[in-house]
Amino acid sequence: MDFPQNMSMEEAFALAEAEAKLHAALQESQSRFESARIPDRLNEDWRFGRPHKYAAALAELLQSNTPSQGEASVQQAGEAAVPVSAADDDLKQTEMLMPTIGSDALLGLHLKRFGSGYVLYIEEDTTEPIHLYYKTETFYTPSTFIMVAPGVKACVVEHHEGLSPQAAMFATRNIQVAEGAELKVQLLSSGMQYYMCITDIQNMGGKVSQLTRHDSHTWAREETVAEIYAAGSDIQLFSANLPTSQVLDQHTRQIHHVGGATSNLLYKNVLDGTATATFAGNIYVAPGAHHTDAYQSNRNLLLSENATVNSLPGLEILADKVRCSHGSASAPVDEEQLFYLLTRGIPRNEAIALLAGGFLDDALEKYERT
Amino acid sequence: MDETPFQMDTRGAFSMPENHKFDAGYGLTEETIDYICDAKGEPDWLRQFRKDALKKFNEMPMPYHWAPEGIRNVDFENFRYYLSHGATPSRSWDEVPDDMKRTFERLGVPEQERAFLAGVDAQYDSETAYTNMREELQKQGVIFVNSTEGLKEYEHIFRPWFGKVIPVGDNKFSALNHAAFSGGSFIYVPKGVKLTQPLQAYFRINSESMGQFERTLIIADEGAELMYMEGCTAPQYDSATLHSGVVELVALKGAKIQYVTVQNWSTNVYNLVIQRGLAMEDAEIRWIDCNLGSGLTMKYPAVVLQGRRARGEVVSISLAHSGQLQDTGARMIHAAPETTSNIVAKSISIGEGRASYRGEVKVLKGMKGCRNNTECDALLINPASRTDTYPAITVNGNASAVQHEASVSQVDEEMLFYLQQRGLTRAQAMSLAVNGFINDLVKEFPMEYSVELRRLIDLEMEDSIG
Repeated sequence: MDFPQNMSMEEAFALAEAEAKLHAALQESQSRFESARIPDRLNEDWRFGRPHKYAAALAELLQSNTPSQGEASVQQAGEAAVPVSAADDDLKQTEMLMPTIGSDALLGLHLKRFGSGYVLYIEEDTTEPIHLYYKTETFYTPSTFIMVAPGVKACVVEHHEGLSPQAAMFATRNIQVAEGAELKVQLLSSGMQYYMCITDIQNMGGKVSQLTRHDSHTWAREETVAEIYAAGSDIQLFSANLPTSQVLDQHTRQIHHVGGATSNLLYKNVLDGTATATFAGNIYVAPGAHHTDAYQSNRNLLLSENATVNSLPGLEILADKVRCSHGSASAPVDEEQLFYLLTRGIPRNEAIALLAGGFLDDALEKYERT
Repeated sequence: MDETPFQMDTRGAFSMPENHKFDAGYGLTEETIDYICDAKGEPDWLRQFRKDALKKFNEMPMPYHWAPEGIRNVDFENFRYYLSHGATPSRSWDEVPDDMKRTFERLGVPEQERAFLAGVDAQYDSETAYTNMREELQKQGVIFVNSTEGLKEYEHIFRPWFGKVIPVGDNKFSALNHAAFSGGSFIYVPKGVKLTQPLQAYFRINSESMGQFERTLIIADEGAELMYMEGCTAPQYDSATLHSGVVELVALKGAKIQYVTVQNWSTNVYNLVIQRGLAMEDAEIRWIDCNLGSGLTMKYPAVVLQGRRARGEVVSISLAHSGQLQDTGARMIHAAPETTSNIVAKSISIGEGRASYRGEVKVLKGMKGCRNNTECDALLINPASRTDTYPAITVNGNASAVQHEASVSQVDEEMLFYLQQRGLTRAQAMSLAVNGFINDLVKEFPMEYSVELRRLIDLEMEDSIG
């Protein structure tokens, strides 16, 4: 190991120790990828997720000779944006250490294709949102890294677009927010046959709010892990979707490693046609993480008799002096509200569309207000 | 909050000398089943049935989607699967052996209480040792016997429903029970008979590594009503004891069944019970459940709402102290239109105790006008206490409404301060707060149980708060 010339003995030891720790973590990660199986019916995190169909299809693509092909571009980023290089070991290690929700085997396969996407090193306040675009006609496996420096305010909008009916994308996102920083980030994905995105948000005492929207995919799976590492952190997660014939599979974790922080989640879906939506969330409060406030709410509006909702809101609380709650509700359109609109001469279809729009707007407005 | 180490629970920490006429030994094999069948004098079809179930049990995997990690530690070789004092149940109190009477007395079941009980089916080890049925019940045509007698005497009623609500292959523990069952009750209430007094059974375990595989089937014919109460207390032992019961309820058109359980076994007991009810048209099934004891409890009372306008309800209280995992919950399957269900679950975690809620609510395809409401509240007493909530809700179609809500909280420090300032000790104040937390659910229990429950909470608080 090379140590800088002017380093004291203590600093050198600390550095060596940190390196050893990282090395051990990476080895553990490596064995996690090697021992993990492609998600199947025995995988509890893929319950209701039809892994034999979708995880298998994605794994087949990842293991095939189909190259990862896509177009990555960025707007309004200035010097903050740097393309991800396959040779960047630091970033690759960051991705290696990312947690998944039952998809370690898939992340392991994603790493083998590492080397596309963008890193955003945000060190100054942004006035305009930074737009990040990933587009593909075939199969694309980009990685995004967003790092927000202490005290900086930033806004990022990520677009994941499929340009053909066979398009597939498997993206990973790693977001690190330093103390006092504020990040508003949107993930807008659309138009793919298979779409999966694994997100890891690490909050070191800042404020993060995220909105995800998934539109017209055949199958979409979102895994979002929000981790709190410092007191004073705040994480707000929102999602609003209107699937009509798709399978939407959303999994979230709100992990409070330390106390004195808040997290909040609101995922709303309107289901029409033959859509199936699964939401599986979990709030984990680690032992000793006292004075935690964590909330989680999943709301579903069912418009069609052939739509299906699976909701699994979970709590794992290992500390006391916490305020935690979760709620889940699934129901059809309120007949009284509908009746009111009908009496005003609004046709039934439009009235339902209005109510569905208003239902989702709730989540969008709450995101805007953060 | 005070961080006192949790003190070992010594209530019920006693045992009587073991004196069994039948003992099938450790482990479960075909020979064990032959032994059980011979001891009970069972017909050949049942022997074959048990053996088929054993085969299934050996083939089936441990549950994976619906189980806490602790379940993997169960070693089926370390249990005894059949113990009995003899196949014929005692008929009167005088015939009950003295050492059993001593156990009953030690547990505070006074002899004179029998007068209030409509019928006592007191299970001592695997076989019913004491059955007392009031003449009145017989006059109404009510059948209340143990399951062995039920299969022998009332095969024409029992057999058609045997294993119908909970099939052999439902899960590994269902297969286990089908292979090794002994004891439990068989109740049949005829058309239109409404029982005013609850039927009651006391379960006792009094042998080390004793497996209890009780099998209860309750059939309420059209328009009938009954309440069944089951209470459990067990002496403390050194090695684990396995309890894997199966309780099936059938409520025919317009019938109403309430099933009350208070479970307070020692912490070396594995309590893995499958309870499921079938509610036909306009019928109602209520599970009122209180889990205080056992090291690992896995219990999710279920109602399959099979007929139009059927109603299901689960009221559940669980209390977990150090060394305990209370994995309880409820399941509601809406298999008919306009069915409604309600789940209210409250848990208290003390010391390093862990209480989990695991629930499943399912509205099947094409079912209109179904409603479910679920509320789970957890109270944490000490900093190392743990609580989890794992619900799974599935709704098909746009004509049903389902809602779930859960919260986690702790006793308000200000409230404790106020009560202590008024002269209460911290334990008394805590006890008052906890009793307040579960008060609305305790009211659902029959009077003598709710008194017992409050007494138990007081004891727990004295133990956990220094």
